Amino acid sequence: MSLGVKREPASVSDVELLHAVAGGDEAALARLYDAYRVILFGLLVRILNSREEAEDVLQDVFIQVWRRAKDFDEKRGRPFTWLVTLARSRAIDRIRQLGARQRLVTGAAQEQTEVVSDALSDTLRTAKQETVQRALSELPDEQRNTLMLAYFDGLTQSEIAEKLKTPLGTVKTRMRSGMQKLRALLEPQLENFS
Amino acid sequence: MTHGDYQELLAASALSALDPADTRALSHHLESCEECRLELGQWEESAALLALDAPPLEPASDVRARILASVRVEPRVEVRPTVDSQSKQNVVPFVVPARKQKNIWQSFGSFGAIAATIVFVGLMISVVVLWRQNQSLRAQRDHERAILALLTKPESQMAKLEGTKMAPGAHAMLAYDKDGHAMVMAKGLPAAPAGMAYQLWFIKDNKKMPGKVFTIDAAGNAMLEDEVPAMAREAAVFAVTLEPATGVSAPTGSIYLVSES
Repeated sequence: MSLGVKREPASVSDVELLHAVAGGDEAALARLYDAYRVILFGLLVRILNSREEAEDVLQDVFIQVWRRAKDFDEKRGRPFTWLVTLARSRAIDRIRQLGARQRLVTGAAQEQTEVVSDALSDTLRTAKQETVQRALSELPDEQRNTLMLAYFDGLTQSEIAEKLKTPLGTVKTRMRSGMQKLRALLEPQLENFS
Repeated sequence: MTHGDYQELLAASALSALDPADTRALSHHLESCEECRLELGQWEESAALLALDAPPLEPASDVRARILASVRVEPRVEVRPTVDSQSKQNVVPFVVPARKQKNIWQSFGSFGAIAATIVFVGLMISVVVLWRQNQSLRAQRDHERAILALLTKPESQMAKLEGTKMAPGAHAMLAYDKDGHAMVMAKGLPAAPAGMAYQLWFIKDNKKMPGKVFTIDAAGNAMLEDEVPAMAREAAVFAVTLEPATGVSAPTGSIYLVSES
């Protein structure tokens, strides 16, 4: 064999990997990390505007996965949703710890994106990303902005209303309408997002 | 609020965008409304897809190793009890036998005393076994702390070793500092045949320098310390082969673990 050979992992579902992690299988955790690191790290950098903070949170997220994998219930959602929700939640917590001022400072020092290593995964992710971005582009600007401020900036409806100087009732309507439209656009393709 | 009012809150809840008062009200309602719980789950599936609007990014290569190193020292009571929790479990039963011990000597010779003596001897054996287990766990903990200390040194370097076709489920991590002090953690290696053991190798410019010979535990795991030769501290390849248990000066057996070149 050559010294650079990497083994090809067997096809195991993410649900099975999470169950294995719940049983204390470190290799399964490593495989979940390999599968989700790029998506989750991209999300964390987008929320935190700092690679350093995002790496800290990414580490924390997978330690939480290790501790809480036994809580995952496939009947209540997909591993993708569970992991993304966990990552976003930790990032929003971190934002609140850092405070808005610190976040603006770190945002100014945001680093450049890096090329994703796995070409195949990159292609797949790009296709999914394009699907989501296409769906978002079909939303009216004010609905899309409301969703972005909630999801990536972690703002509540009242905070969004204050930031946009818009009545709270209007923000609530935009948020619900935006989510309904996004769901209608993406739901038929949900199977492809596992 | 009506059921319909709560349903209006679900999409915003999936975005964690509800104000505190609405969050509390919805949380209370969800406790008794299965329909809303299911619908919230659907909204959460949709909300999670927004993550894909963020550009995919590659984290630093050492994050993976940091995570795995962290979980190895993570107390996980159900799977791998910590030394402290193990100690507590071990200590509790011996409070009661201490009282029974007095009864044994007072009524020595009786049938009951013989049974009690057997129990006492059994418990003493348990003490020894558990003491040895604790010693082993403490040694493992000390190893893990040493690895963690090594990993947190700013100048430390790490290499991940993947299992080859000889051991597809195996993997290992090698961390070393600027002085070459190295710690290796290997997992999932198959049992070595009698008279054979695993040996670590440092490979630089096709020169193969022997490291320590080591054995694995029943689960296929091993931890060892070694010294990375000076010339192999930069851009080297690390490998593990199966060799005679006495060790060899040049590799003769199959490669079971190897780092990327």
